[in-house]
Amino acid sequence: MSLWKEYLHPQTVEQAVQALSAAASPAIPIAGGTDLMLDLQQGNHPPVHTLVDLTGIPELRALEIRGEWLFIGAGVPHNRIVESPLAREHAASLVEACGLIGGPQVRNMATLGGNVAHALPAADGTIGLLALEAEAEIASPEGRRRVSLPALFRGPGQSTLAPTEIIVGFYLPLRAPGQGSAFVRVMRAQGIALPILNLAVWLERQEETIRAARVAVGPAGPTPFRAVQTSAYLTGKPFTAETIAGAQETLLAEARFRTSPARATAEYRRALAVVLLKNALTTAWQRAGQYPGSNQQ
Amino acid sequence: MTTIIGTAVPRIDAYGKVTGQTEYSGDLVMPGMLHAKILFAGRPHARILSIDTSAAEALPGVVAIFTAKDVPVNEYGLQINDQPVLCGPNSPLPAGEGTGVRADIVRFVGDQVALIVAETEAIADQARKLIRVEYEDLPVLTDPEEAMKPGAFLIHPERGTSNICVHDKIRKGDVEKGFAEADVIVEAEYRVPMQEHAYLQPEAGLAYVDENGLLTVKAAGQWTHVDRKQIAHALALPEEQVRVQYPAIGGAFGGREDMSIQIVIALAAWKLKRPVKIIWSRQESIIGHAKRHAMVIRAKWGARKDGKLTAARNLFIADGGAYMYTTNKVLGNSTITESGPYFIPNIEGDVIGVYTNNVPAAAFRGFGAPQAAFMAESQMNKLAEKLGMDPVEIRRINALKETDTMAVGTLPPNKPTVLEVIEAAAEKFGWEQGAVSRNQGSVNSHRAAVKRGRGFAAGFKNIGFSFGYKENCWARVEIHGQAEIEAVTVWCAAAEVGQGNHTILAQIAAEVTGVPLSRVNLLTMDTLNMGNAGSASASRLTVMSGNAVKGAAESALEKWKNEERPAVAEYTYLAPPTTPLDPETGYCTPNFLYAYAAQAVEVEVDTETGHVRLLRVVSAHDVGKAINPDLVVGQIEGGIVQAQGYVIQENFITRGGYVLTDQLSTYLIPTIWDIPAKVESVLVEIPAEIGPWGAKGVGELPYLPLAPAITAAIHDATGVWIDQFPLTPERVLRALGKL
Ligand SMILES: Cc1cc2nc3c(=O)[nH]c(=O)nc-3n(C[C@H](O)[C@H](O)[C@H](O)COP(=O)(O)OP(=O)(O)OC[C@H]3O[C@@H](n4cnc5c(N)ncnc54)[C@H](O)[C@@H]3O)c2cc1C
Repeated sequence: MSLWKEYLHPQTVEQAVQALSAAASPAIPIAGGTDLMLDLQQGNHPPVHTLVDLTGIPELRALEIRGEWLFIGAGVPHNRIVESPLAREHAASLVEACGLIGGPQVRNMATLGGNVAHALPAADGTIGLLALEAEAEIASPEGRRRVSLPALFRGPGQSTLAPTEIIVGFYLPLRAPGQGSAFVRVMRAQGIALPILNLAVWLERQEETIRAARVAVGPAGPTPFRAVQTSAYLTGKPFTAETIAGAQETLLAEARFRTSPARATAEYRRALAVVLLKNALTTAWQRAGQYPGSNQQ
Repeated sequence: MTTIIGTAVPRIDAYGKVTGQTEYSGDLVMPGMLHAKILFAGRPHARILSIDTSAAEALPGVVAIFTAKDVPVNEYGLQINDQPVLCGPNSPLPAGEGTGVRADIVRFVGDQVALIVAETEAIADQARKLIRVEYEDLPVLTDPEEAMKPGAFLIHPERGTSNICVHDKIRKGDVEKGFAEADVIVEAEYRVPMQEHAYLQPEAGLAYVDENGLLTVKAAGQWTHVDRKQIAHALALPEEQVRVQYPAIGGAFGGREDMSIQIVIALAAWKLKRPVKIIWSRQESIIGHAKRHAMVIRAKWGARKDGKLTAARNLFIADGGAYMYTTNKVLGNSTITESGPYFIPNIEGDVIGVYTNNVPAAAFRGFGAPQAAFMAESQMNKLAEKLGMDPVEIRRINALKETDTMAVGTLPPNKPTVLEVIEAAAEKFGWEQGAVSRNQGSVNSHRAAVKRGRGFAAGFKNIGFSFGYKENCWARVEIHGQAEIEAVTVWCAAAEVGQGNHTILAQIAAEVTGVPLSRVNLLTMDTLNMGNAGSASASRLTVMSGNAVKGAAESALEKWKNEERPAVAEYTYLAPPTTPLDPETGYCTPNFLYAYAAQAVEVEVDTETGHVRLLRVVSAHDVGKAINPDLVVGQIEGGIVQAQGYVIQENFITRGGYVLTDQLSTYLIPTIWDIPAKVESVLVEIPAEIGPWGAKGVGELPYLPLAPAITAAIHDATGVWIDQFPLTPERVLRALGKL
């Protein structure tokens, strides 16, 4: 019983997009296949005719500095992100997130692009990226465009990508002096599935003040959640217990935590959000201070 | 002087399994083979009004569809025949006219309704979706305490006027007098969950009629001869007409004791005269086979100031699920072990099993003893706390001795060694030295919110079948050669479920005949030309099949010395007789052998997230004699990992009889990242008169103390007793008062 009829290996982004438009439909991209193959096997994804394998496209495997940005190709597997000195320097929250996805076998296959394109509200890589205000580059038959990450998500498991579009990669602002990020999550058994709750923080520090902050958390709604109000609350505040408490309150007010019958109650998720926010803020704050070019006295 | 006994020789099945050469049930292929799928009820309680298979039968490639009307004797069961093979109307022998079972009723989601046989698996799958079943839903009972009430809807109306299917009693001494003598009393209610076996290999099998006309079923199980008996009964065939063979077994843990796919593929192969193969998906496996019994246990125990126990009163209510399976025997074991390995002069115990519309409960490593141990050991730890006494000390004071009566009112059959294992565990752990390693380098230990604690518990369990079963095991040994022994062939049907039994049997045959292991061949796991070996359960095979092979090898060697060529001997080992529980008092001699274990553990509790990590386990076992020390350690380490899953990670969630965690992405078993970095096994070897070279058994023992040791360690770390598991982070946080 074959799960597909045709399997294509494009070598360029243009060929891939072309293949998605021209090949016998339904045609969909496949990267590591760690989500897709299970969904196909278990009948959670409508049957497909053509699979277009993106992992042979060199551009999607790139991980490099491009001007003011760190570029991570959508086809880069999690283990490469974890080991990359560039990612470690510029994208600590992403590195931490990718390091917790699955076990080593999954991390060797699974890609960041697949993690984002699958559009699950608590995908670890996605939450790690959201706090970094990453942008995604999309290729379509009409050409390429850059969008902010949140613009990619429509609902649980649904992206805004057209069937003929692929994510080429992600642009992350390079880390500047005084900036730091962190990712934390809670999980019942390690290495198996999505977390009970995850949370990422990015912040910029000036002396004892938070100059800017971004918080992302999942699952806290139908799409990966950017806690905009919490981020705004933190901005310009001194890093004190009082500020953390205020941020915790703001987060609880704006995030919509739900009960999932086989995983956790909303009540527990709320309790965790408070703890994870404090822990991630503390770590990110310390990291922001440790940066060699930090303007901290 | 022995040489191979006591030596950690490599497993004889290691090479084939590691290189992938060994065939498991799912690997079997035959020319002309057909593929089968089972249509499950998918609803917890309903009457089947009609089954329409016409559209499915019309699908090209479909060979046959079997329903209730095709099963000659539509009932089966390991203990009692209370389950239909296929649920539906028009069984040839309806209840009251042959079988005792109303076959038109489905009683849990995993009840089987139809078997679809087709040229390919895909066609069988497609055809399954075309079968139309008309159901009339019946009231669903999922809470045993509701189901046992008088007037509750009856799940098996043909079996009396109550859903209570088991009620074992202990009446020893005078509990009121005992409580009056007590200086402290501990009362608590404990809740323990269902557990899925999660063996690596889901159910699979191949059935065909061989060239001699024997209906042959190749499917992993635990006891070839009772599989054969149940298949033959349902098909109305003489047992000799059926052959059951086991390919390699990918784990069992009790979950393969009861039938799953065997009868239906045998039926299809017999009717179609073509080989029929089936493989269950993980989802089918999880809804399709029985689980560990969930229980509520209410206990009241008393002790004097000096620590001596005076009385215990225990009430167990166990969810038996839709059918009996082995609930009667499992609960018998809870009954025996409800005292813990301690002397309690006065005990009143009621152990009640109830039919519900949940997935049936049955055998699972420990067989009713882990549940009882959680209660008994927690009671001991709480009594120690109330008395201001060390938990090891209170166990020393009450440890069962040769001259003490057990809960069943009789003396222990072999010298209790609970004191020895308690001392061994305490010493290895450094218990007397006091505190845990609070500042050792775990990832989180720098955070003030992360607390450490230590806990202690013991446990005991029977080795071998209980309650008057005539415990026996057959073996045959052939010695080939002329001047010197060239080959030794051992015949024994015992199941190698991963525990290492076949290596043990080969070691025993080699030892007796004085040949190297390489000259021993095994013929096993078959009903043809082999006597009964009994099940791979009750930690019994080292003693039972070990003694059988030892006896056969010894008499074959005698014949060899008398110049017989080949020298062949058969031997059936019979264990000392036992007796069943007295229905009113529980008085009996239920077992011929017990083994004892004790554990000390250290845990870390994140008091902000509720996460519990098991850091260190010391597990001491009296194994009598470790015939192969590596295999013993393997059983201890494996048992602890599985028990850890039971206590911490796993969480079998059902709602209204439906299973919400029917995949391994939702039913989370511990991974390499979760298990303790360190399990220290301590082998105490106090020979049992009965066992080969003094050996006892070990397979189930590591399971028993772990849950109560962990909750005691959490109490040590946080000051809070948690009397229910799994210890999901959420439950722990709630118990800490933070939710
Ligand atoms: C055992 C196991 C454990 C896991 N644990 C975690 C975990 O802890 N945390 C977590 O977040 N996830 C986890 N996952 C989920 C999964 O591994 C990740 O989400 C992974 O990053 C998906 O990437 P992939 O390359 O395998 O995607 P695929 O399965 O190849 O694709 C997923 C989806 O994205 C689409 N897609 C892939 N690449 C692109 C692209 N470049 N452009 C457009 N569409 C694309 C595909 O068409 C498909 O719809 C786990 C999975 C398994 C099997």
